[in-house]
Amino acid sequence: MSGERPLELAERGLGLTEGEAQVTVIRERSLVSRFARSHPTQATRVDTSTVEVLCVRDGHTAAASTDRTDDEALVAAASRAAAAAQASAYSGPGSYPGLPGPAPARAHEGHDPVTARLDPTTAGRALEAAFAAAADGGLEAFGIWSAGAVETAIASSAGVRATDSVTDAFAKVICRDGEGRSGFASDTAVRAADIDVAAVARRAAERVPRGALGDVAPGEYPVVLEAEAVGVLLEFLAWLGFNGLAHAEGRGALSGRLGRRVAAPAVNLSDSPRFAHTLPRAFDAEGVPKAPLPLIQDGVAHRVVHDTSSAAVAGGAATSTGHALAAGGTSDGPVPTNLVLIGGGAADEHELAAPIERGLYVARLWYVNPVRERDALLTGMTRDGTYLIEDGRITRPVRDVRFTDGVLRLLEATEALGARQRLVSEGEFYGRRFATGVVCPPLRAGGFRVNA
Amino acid sequence: MLDLLTGLVAAAHGRCSYAEARHVVDRHERIEVRGGRVERVDAGTSEGIGVRVRAGGAWGFAATTDVSRGGAQAALERALALARALPDVPAASLAGIDAPARGHWSSPRERDPFAIGLEEKLAVLLEAEAGLRGDARIVRTQASCLSTATTTAFASSDGAAYTQEVTACGGGIQAWATAGGELQVRSYPSAHGGSVAQAGWEHLMGLELAAHAPRVAEEAVALLTAPPCPAGPTTLVLGSEQLALQVHESIGHALELDRILLGEASYAGTSWVGAADLGTLRYGSEHLDITADATTPGGLGTFGWDDEGVAANAHPLVARGVLRGALSDRESAAAAGLERSGGCARADGFARQPIVRMTNVSLQPGAAGSLDDLVADTGEGVFMETNRSWSIDDRRLGFQFATEVAYEIRGGELGRLLRNPSYAGVTPSFWASMDAVCSPAAWRLHGLLNCGKGEPGQVMRVSHGAPPARFRDVEIGVA
Repeated sequence: MSGERPLELAERGLGLTEGEAQVTVIRERSLVSRFARSHPTQATRVDTSTVEVLCVRDGHTAAASTDRTDDEALVAAASRAAAAAQASAYSGPGSYPGLPGPAPARAHEGHDPVTARLDPTTAGRALEAAFAAAADGGLEAFGIWSAGAVETAIASSAGVRATDSVTDAFAKVICRDGEGRSGFASDTAVRAADIDVAAVARRAAERVPRGALGDVAPGEYPVVLEAEAVGVLLEFLAWLGFNGLAHAEGRGALSGRLGRRVAAPAVNLSDSPRFAHTLPRAFDAEGVPKAPLPLIQDGVAHRVVHDTSSAAVAGGAATSTGHALAAGGTSDGPVPTNLVLIGGGAADEHELAAPIERGLYVARLWYVNPVRERDALLTGMTRDGTYLIEDGRITRPVRDVRFTDGVLRLLEATEALGARQRLVSEGEFYGRRFATGVVCPPLRAGGFRVNA
Repeated sequence: MLDLLTGLVAAAHGRCSYAEARHVVDRHERIEVRGGRVERVDAGTSEGIGVRVRAGGAWGFAATTDVSRGGAQAALERALALARALPDVPAASLAGIDAPARGHWSSPRERDPFAIGLEEKLAVLLEAEAGLRGDARIVRTQASCLSTATTTAFASSDGAAYTQEVTACGGGIQAWATAGGELQVRSYPSAHGGSVAQAGWEHLMGLELAAHAPRVAEEAVALLTAPPCPAGPTTLVLGSEQLALQVHESIGHALELDRILLGEASYAGTSWVGAADLGTLRYGSEHLDITADATTPGGLGTFGWDDEGVAANAHPLVARGVLRGALSDRESAAAAGLERSGGCARADGFARQPIVRMTNVSLQPGAAGSLDDLVADTGEGVFMETNRSWSIDDRRLGFQFATEVAYEIRGGELGRLLRNPSYAGVTPSFWASMDAVCSPAAWRLHGLLNCGKGEPGQVMRVSHGAPPARFRDVEIGVA
């Protein structure tokens, strides 16, 4: 890698474009160590730089990217994007209103220089800690330890000059006994030092069911959902409900429901990019500063999120709320990536379970997908720790169950929330590393629909 | 570049037990037309080198976009440092190879999609998308195409030194309709990105998107007021595309040997199949024949060599309902006591290491004739087609799917359109209930663009061939 800083590279690239354009530079350095059966299995170190040139012509956008940083490659990308945007005008004027102008972004504490060093010995020690904790319980450990550092720089013809540096660290441990019974725990943070891998592994080990697994018949159950399960549901609601493009097109789960009660009064959900424990971001993919945005307040749906493109589709007074996932927007639309669900008064999952005569405790959800998007109806499995709640206590382990239920219905049926919020992440950083997570507590809801 | 890679793995000699280096150039172009306008053109080229080493039993992998000799050497050093920093792993051998991979392989194509002018592509998509519009209840219309070209150079300390080039192209159309709180979608020729194959521009043109657009729009609107799919056990006929995804989820993933050996327990999950089940387990009815074939023409899982330098091959996974094989790489094959890898090590670009992936895992045709013949033979039941929703447990046993469209089958003919169809089952009993499979003329190959696995995440393109088939006593209307 050259010593050129990402913003310098972005500005050099912008200088090679003509007309309305944005150049985005993403420099990723990351380390992932996987393990299974208490042995290392894969270890991946990535050092990449990507330059994307977005050109705008007559309301049309086109992008071209390259991993090379020499002038020849940048000129080629710029020419390709400009030609594609120009050719797109063949269909008449486009709807993109133009690149947003500069606006000051607030600083955040989302970067840790020690984590950014990506010392492989840190990964080695993390794995040893996980293996030892699992062995103490006579169990095998499976999981990953990962850390990443991502620098993003944007330079645009509209005057944006923005740069952001973030780090993230993630550890996940599944402890498993000889019978295949498993328990799960994870932790995510800006600083790798804030993750106690031994503690994560011990938590996973404690969740491994002891004794035979019972069965649960299909039906509706009062449920206590751990934070990991709540986070997954809220991430889907981000796509299905708060997505400004889906909303503007009448496909969204909150279409016709803004300003109305969609959840229990105790539910307060926001997108809060600088909230404690979140993975902060200074700006979105178009350089629009991130700012807190209430989404559901006291159970009432307030608004959806926009990028520049979806705001144009929505029309009226809609403007970008700083949620572009790509310059010029994406086909799937914008989503909030710093969801925060405010906690309640219950001390822990045991206190949440106390009023339940017979119900379920769910540690984690798996392979969740929408069934009907407009209804925010999801299906998926429970995994790595499903228990019966009997007479107010979390008692016997049961086999994993399939649920098919609506996220908004579950939020409407929410009776209580835990006091302790956690940053939960699935750690699935597909493609370029863009670590996200949801800060949320566990909760208790009625009528969790188990259908197999 | 091959010389650079060969020199790099030679430099690793004596510092590790195995080394491999891959240089990959990935080129892509995605065009999307929406609502009568060109919505987006995305193009890009990624280029880099991935170096993987094995020190003792530990792997280290490092990827870089610095493709100079110095950049590659630095990646090798990082990979070695990574492997050495890990806790000790018992040394274990890799499955042997018959002969080092040498030479060049390229996928066939008639018209290079990157040589086609953008104006020509846009004209095709705009015409197709225009055919979707007209009814006020249609709220979103889309036509898209995808072109990719991947050039790989590979060298390993086992003597491999090959290059290969793969071109893929395809696309599709979609219409969303909404009214009265109902949202419905129809896609052609398939959901989730359309039909993409290892081919050139001729594949997209062969789809005849514009000709199908009016029907797609009409069905999306008709679904808004169609009666809901009934609930309960019934005879289910699955169309070729939905059956392809069923094969993917409940057979392909279940037979990945790394999952079977618990290597993927932390993320993708495990399998209901055990390593000792090979050769004996009854997976389904006698009509169930499944192959893994990395030589299938047009398949997105077709190549000359996999990303460990193992030559492409075809092998049975299930024969007459009995489990005969698994999908493996060199490490998992050795761990399971197999002499040779199944040639299923594939990596998503230069920045990911190869892991066990599907190639082209297909249901072989039977003798039930055409779809019309099968429906006529069925009498009463439901026909479902085009995937809308999918979910399966981490052992690949309990699944639930929803499709875009269904038709009731009455008196041996397709009857009323049904909305919001879904079905559920358990893998071995579901496949045991398959009592008829359509004939070779009804067999179609379907590309799947979004198979996720691995940490860091990898998205792989695979294909599955399947004809329509019939299943008895399946629970439908479950969602």
